[in-house]
This record gives sequence, C-alpha cells and structure tokens, in this order.
Amino acid sequence: MFFLRYFFRRTLQNIRGNLLLNLGTISVIAISMLIFSAFSLIAFNLTSLLKVWEDKIEIIAYLKRRPAPGDLDVLLKNVSLLHGVERAKYISSSEAMSFMETKLGSQRNLLEGVQPDVLPPSLEIQLAKEYRNSVRIKEVVSQLRQFSQIEEIQYGKEWVETFSGLLHVVRVTQWILGGLLIAAMTFIIANTVQLTISSRREEIGVMHLVGASPAFIQVPFYIEGLVQGLLGAQLAIVLLFLLYKLFFIYIPLPVKESLEKVPIAFMPPETIVWFLSGGMVLGFFGSLVASIKILKYSG
Amino acid sequence: MIQMIHVHKTYPNQFFTLSDISLEVSTGEFVFVAGPSGSGKTTIMRLLFCAEKATSGEVIVNGIQITQGFGSIHQLRRTMGVVFQDSKLLQDRSVSENVALSLEVRGQFGKGVRDKVSDALFEVGLQGREKDSIFSLSAGEQQRVAIARALITHPPLLLLDEPTGNLDHQMTTDVMEIFSQLHQKGTTIVLATHNTELLHQYPYRRITLQAGKRVEEEKRPDAVTSGAPDI
Repeated sequence: MFFLRYFFRRTLQNIRGNLLLNLGTISVIAISMLIFSAFSLIAFNLTSLLKVWEDKIEIIAYLKRRPAPGDLDVLLKNVSLLHGVERAKYISSSEAMSFMETKLGSQRNLLEGVQPDVLPPSLEIQLAKEYRNSVRIKEVVSQLRQFSQIEEIQYGKEWVETFSGLLHVVRVTQWILGGLLIAAMTFIIANTVQLTISSRREEIGVMHLVGASPAFIQVPFYIEGLVQGLLGAQLAIVLLFLLYKLFFIYIPLPVKESLEKVPIAFMPPETIVWFLSGGMVLGFFGSLVASIKILKYSG
Repeated sequence: MIQMIHVHKTYPNQFFTLSDISLEVSTGEFVFVAGPSGSGKTTIMRLLFCAEKATSGEVIVNGIQITQGFGSIHQLRRTMGVVFQDSKLLQDRSVSENVALSLEVRGQFGKGVRDKVSDALFEVGLQGREKDSIFSLSAGEQQRVAIARALITHPPLLLLDEPTGNLDHQMTTDVMEIFSQLHQKGTTIVLATHNTELLHQYPYRRITLQAGKRVEEEKRPDAVTSGAPDI
C-alpha cells in the first residue's frame, strides 16, 4: 500500500517536473489515436452497413415447372438439408406476380393481361451467415445444380463479389493502419519517456547508489506511461466525439437527408473502454521499451 | 569484511590500469586509501560498491564474491553507505526527502521514517533542518546530509570517496569527527583521500597507491579499531 502511494506520488511529481514534455507526449498520443479512432469509426459504420447488406444475400433457384405438392415438400426438405442453407421457401408463379405488382406500385397496370404462368416458380434460399460471401456461396450453388428440378440459379454474383471484396479491403486496411499506428505510438512514447528518463539521470544514479532495486526505479516510469496513454486516448475520444457532432452540423442538407436512411453511430461504450485500455497498454509498452534501454543497472 | 585478491582493472583504449591490488579490511577497522589524483583510489571504491567489475582477481565484500556474475547489486549496496566528494544530493528535494531516500528504497515509509530521519540529522548536527532545501545549505552541510543519508540505515560498512575534498579545514574537522564517532560505534570505514594533512592527523591504517599499484601500507602504532566482531 505504502509502495503504491509512493509510486503514484513519484509519478505525479515526475509529470509535474516535466510538464511540457508530458503534455507533448500526451498530445502526440492523442493525435495518433485520433487518426486511428476516426478510421475505426468509419470502418465500424461501414461494417455495420455491410452487415445489413450481408443479411440480404440469398439465392433464387428458378424451377423448370410447378412441382406436384408431394414433390415440392421433398424438394424443400432436400434443399434445406444442404450445407450452408438456413431456410428455403417456395414462391409460386402467382406469388411472384403479386410481388412484382407490389414492387411496380402505381405502374402495376403494365402487367395487365400478363398471365402469372409467365413467371417461373422458384425457391428463395437463405444462407447460413458463414456462406454469405463470394467464395462459399458457390459451394451451395454447385450443390443446387445437382437438382434436376432447378432450371436456373441467380445470386447476384458480381454484387456479392464486389461486396465481399469491399468488406475484405476495409478489414485489411483497418488492421494494417492499426498496426502501423500502434508501432508509431510505441516508438513515440518510448522516445518521450526516454527523454524524461534522461532528464532524471542524476536522480536515477543516486537511487542506484542507495540500493534501489531496478523495479523500484522503473515502476513510476511504467505508471507514467500508463497515465500518458490513458490521457492521450481520452483526449482522442473527446476530439473524435466533437468531430462527429460537427460533421452533422456542417454537412449540406441534401447529404444529411440521404444519411437519414443510413444511421451513422458513434463508438459503442464497450469499444470506448477497449480503446482507453489500448491507450494504457501502449503507454505501458512504450515505457517498458524505453526503460529497458536506459535503466540498466550499471551503477 | 573486505578482501581484494590480485585485482586488476583495465579500461579499453585508456592508459590507466589498476595492477595486482590485494588488500584486506577487517570488521570495525578504519582504513585510509591514500594516494595522489589518478592513483586508483576511486577505482577501488567503485569496485567495492559494484559500480565496476574487476578485469581479473577477486573482490569480496561482506562475504559476497562480487567479481563475477553477481546479479543483485542493490542487495549488496543496502549493506553499505557511500559518500562522495560531491554529495550527490537531489537538488529538487528537501533535506529530509534526501535522507529518507535510503529507507524508501528499502520499502520503509511513514512516521517511522520521519523519526529515523530526525535521528540521523541529529547525529550529523543538522537537527531541525528537515524542511530546508538543498540550495540553502553550505557545502559542509550538504556533505553532512549525504552522510546522514548513508548512515540512516546503520550500515556495517561506510565507503567514503574524498568526502572532505570540497570542505574547508573546520568543516573537514567536523565531518571527520562524525566518522570517528561512527567508527567507535563499530562501523567499518574505508576512506579514500589525497589529503596528507588528514592522513597525519588521524591514527588509522593507511593503504597507499601510486599509478594504479599498491606501494605502501602503514599501520600506525596508535591505530584504532572499534573492536566490533568480524562478520
């Protein structure tokens, strides 16, 4: 307990004693984390949007002819048992016609005189979550091709491939950018902590002289790194929130109207907690790197 | 308490070497390590408190072989007090904070520390100066603070490297009086100095160095040991 109090007191004294250097470090951490968090927020919203679209990925299998009632049940059961199929639903020609009329709305009179038999009966097949991508959807399609009752299969191949590619790019970019920023932040924190350690070289020498253990000397620097990381991450979140609010105030009205259909959310609380924890871990890691380099017990 | 056996110390790209030094200091002894500047006094002190490692030979302090592969340097340093010519005080801390540092690094905090700091400052004649800043003290007073920091843990061994080098005659006498009293209480003291006046004034054993070699040992007929038991 006394040790903890001592360490926190020393940390505060260290921060006060090197206030400008510490403010500089916190600002640099905040700017780096702001870039990362801004990108994360964009990726978060884009991923949410893509997930909505992802749920809409399905296969339409057009049948050669209307199956007999007994055959239909067998077909539906067999299709439902395929790997990757979550649910299969039969759409008759008349149901397809009703759907089309609904879609056309006021222009439904275009369908006057058209017999429902023109539209082939079909199966609407919903996929399991892990099959809703350009690679695995093909596995289901190839299984469906084995059924002699099926004439044609449609699943918006190009759209699914574009969608999967976009999702992949967003996720890979997020990880690459995240990795680069983490490396940069560790480097920045390590260097600034190194500067504060250098400025207290005499003090560290005296502590070595009177028998301080390496941990006794290092712990305040680790706490300093944790505090810098936490404050930097907090500042980044606050700035990001202000930018998020300003975005809605200053965007032109037409853009604002179109965005109403696509809700843009701020980071959820659990992500913010992860983000702050990440800042602390980075701060700690930066201090660790710096202290290993400088605080070797040489006397 | 201290043994150096055929110790050599060389530095890369430097002319100075410490050659074949052997010496022994018993518990309770007061020993001068004498010699002109550059003779190797400070090197011997640095070897004893493990700031450097000997190139060859054996260095044994408090029964611990510290020459090769000795890891826990801070544990060794906790068994000794060290005072230098420059007092090595932390200028941004008060007198009491400087003295308390020796206890804090050993995990001692709170009121007990304050009492011990007061006692140590009393011992060096600086009672009531706890809150003073280091800047407000004279060189002699600063050296006394450094001595208080070294003796507050009651170490069995004091290593003093030119502790009176920056002090005038009166201050030197005052500081030497403190060391004599500590010696009488049983503390083993090794004091490195080039001050010949000091060497003649105090009746302690003298080990003399010249250009990194031991040239002479004189045990004065009236040399004093405290009579403390060997550790």
